[in-house]
Amino acid sequence: MNRWRVVRWAGGALCCVAFVISCGAPRGDRIVVGSKNFSEQALLGEILAQHLEARTHLPVTRRFYLAGSYICQQAMLAGRIDTYVEYTGTALTAILHDPIESDAAAVFGRVQSEYRKKFGFEVMPSLGFNNTFAIVVRGEDARRLGLEKLSDAPRFPAEWRAGFGFEFMERPDGYAGLARTYDLHFGAPPRILDLGLLYRALLEKQVDLVAGNSTDGLLAARDLQILADDKHYFPPYEAVPVVRRDTLERHPEVRAAIAELGGKISDAEMQKMNYAVDGQRRDIADVAREFLHAKGLK
Amino acid sequence: MSLLEFFLKQRQEILQSSIEHVWLVGMAMLLAVAIGVPLGVLVTRRPWLSRPILGGANVAETIPSLALFGFLLPVPWLGGRADRMAIAALTLYALLPIIRNTSAGISGVDRAVREAARGMGMTDWQILYRVELPLSLSTVLAGVRVATVLTIGIATIAAAVGAGGLGEFIFRGLAMVNNQLILAGAIPAALMALMADFLLSVLERRLRPVR
Amino acid sequence: MNAEANGTSTRDASPEPLIEFRRVNYALDSGQRLLHDVNFSVARGETLVLLGRSGAGKTTALKLINRLLEPTAGEVLVEGRSTMEWNPIELRRHIGYVIQEIGLFPHFTVEKNVALVPHLEKWPEDRVGARVRELLTMVGLEPGKFAGRYPHELSGGQRQRVGVARALAADPAILLMDEPFGALDPLTRGEVLTEFQDLQDRLQKTVVVVTHHVGEALALGTHIGVMDGGKLEGIYSREEFLRASGPVTSAYVALLRMQERAEEEDL
Repeated sequence: MNRWRVVRWAGGALCCVAFVISCGAPRGDRIVVGSKNFSEQALLGEILAQHLEARTHLPVTRRFYLAGSYICQQAMLAGRIDTYVEYTGTALTAILHDPIESDAAAVFGRVQSEYRKKFGFEVMPSLGFNNTFAIVVRGEDARRLGLEKLSDAPRFPAEWRAGFGFEFMERPDGYAGLARTYDLHFGAPPRILDLGLLYRALLEKQVDLVAGNSTDGLLAARDLQILADDKHYFPPYEAVPVVRRDTLERHPEVRAAIAELGGKISDAEMQKMNYAVDGQRRDIADVAREFLHAKGLK
Repeated sequence: MSLLEFFLKQRQEILQSSIEHVWLVGMAMLLAVAIGVPLGVLVTRRPWLSRPILGGANVAETIPSLALFGFLLPVPWLGGRADRMAIAALTLYALLPIIRNTSAGISGVDRAVREAARGMGMTDWQILYRVELPLSLSTVLAGVRVATVLTIGIATIAAAVGAGGLGEFIFRGLAMVNNQLILAGAIPAALMALMADFLLSVLERRLRPVR
Repeated sequence: MNAEANGTSTRDASPEPLIEFRRVNYALDSGQRLLHDVNFSVARGETLVLLGRSGAGKTTALKLINRLLEPTAGEVLVEGRSTMEWNPIELRRHIGYVIQEIGLFPHFTVEKNVALVPHLEKWPEDRVGARVRELLTMVGLEPGKFAGRYPHELSGGQRQRVGVARALAADPAILLMDEPFGALDPLTRGEVLTEFQDLQDRLQKTVVVVTHHVGEALALGTHIGVMDGGKLEGIYSREEFLRASGPVTSAYVALLRMQERAEEEDL
């Protein structure tokens, strides 16, 4: 029957296409570096990429601005990216769904062993900084009131107002726990502000205390003071490169190259780079290159 | 850099993403046809099932695609791997046009032909395989065509939940405010949809029964 | 054939009837009764025409023979066995079936249409081919010209003939026809009718035909069963029919006379 012949033809063509697809496009010897969708992540991804290019001479593809940890994790599982930089605290809670802890070494160890076991991913040593929550006040207030750490909270003036992002208010390891740990009392409930506006509101004295990130660029460029988390309330968010095991097996030189970056970026250095990109609008590739050059890694 | 130069520079990534996209769409369509055509046939055999089956598919169709992806996240086996989840959601979306067209196509077969077939001693399976399906092939294929074009489009949203595909260019381009990246995802996806539509309508026309 | 309803006609004892209706009733799910206590039998080689107006139950009775419908009470016997005992698929392949709209498969050539039942019965290909050619010739369609054509390429009369050929393909003993010539224009109908009569003489099949056309009934049938309101008023041979006294039958006879007179006056 004529029509069945047409159907068979179409079916055959479809099978061929399916076969080709399931084989996948030839990956070749490329390394794909991913990143999440904010500038610090793009900077770290770029540093990783440039360093790998220089050390291993393998072609590197950049797949930046993926929309979050879940997306990156899926991309790693599916092999669409070979490596990206994750934060240990995020890995612990958002990906492994384990309860949060505050001991940095314990968190790192747990993340490393679980990632190895569950996903076949290698967690490399920290890049050197901890992008955790930072409680920030104006520099002048800190000097005037003698504020250095969060345990100095009793010295907060009663009329002080806090400003937090929505997520910080909602997270269990956010404001609620912080207030309990340090016995915080503000005259009025905290204002909820858009993340981008927090520092401006602080500098313009609309609020007196905000929760930012410890590597925010503005911290390097303005007179702001981070209050130390002396009771270690906030969990550690150490920046660690995560790599697929089979990428390391295919290209063992990648491991050495990435390990070289361990401990090379301090909190302050990350702040400066973030400011260069966010505040001064400089090109990410340039900033990354300068950093690697300054560290003698190029 | 002009758009063309950008495309040429990124061609390997675009190809890679296109293949991921075709994989998502292809798997979903295969499942949708494998599930949808039998369900469409079932609806013609047991008319009382038409309400629940078509109704169910209709509900799946009405849920906003992004929401459907979100609903499937906590499901144990599916939520773990984004591409599995995306394929499941895309399959659900593709079901309605396929079920509907299959049952309409089969019901649309001339009653006299069906009566003659039955009276001559064809079993129900023989009537389905030799008469009803061949005569409704064109209509079924129209449903497949609609479903495919739909799926190619919705698959771009799958990137939002980590399934990859051409949508990833779009979302990255949005985050970076980079139009070239957005187009690197949008244009191939649109071309894919157009080509699928064209090829399938050619096939549809060839299979249309002459009265 | 016995006409138990009126009990008037007698016939020589014939070999066992091929088709028998015993106190057959058929009702829809809604309760509406389409057949009331119908009794008749058809002997081998006879042509029974069921005559009546629309809704009289003729088609229902026909469909009970090849078990497209099942009696709600009573029995229909084919070749001595109740239709309920037969495997329905086997029964239907034993019986040729022609409907008014014919229902040729539009996606099959004429040849494939005619070869339907032989293919279902898994005849060897050469036997099928020979049989198709034989049948097409028999119904007046030249095989070389028509075998490869599709139904949409044929005229109404040609499609009709293919339908008859298809019904006869597996050489069934019984042929059922439901208003087979109803869709044809009068001229074509006349031609086809004559051809069918020749075919009947040659093949000697046992046929049951449903029609509401009294002239056709007389032309086709060895016996005529008049139905009204789900009941069988009577079964008559041709001669008996013209002399019969039942109300519906008489009405048909009167109609016939009127038509004949009209034709004579035209001439």
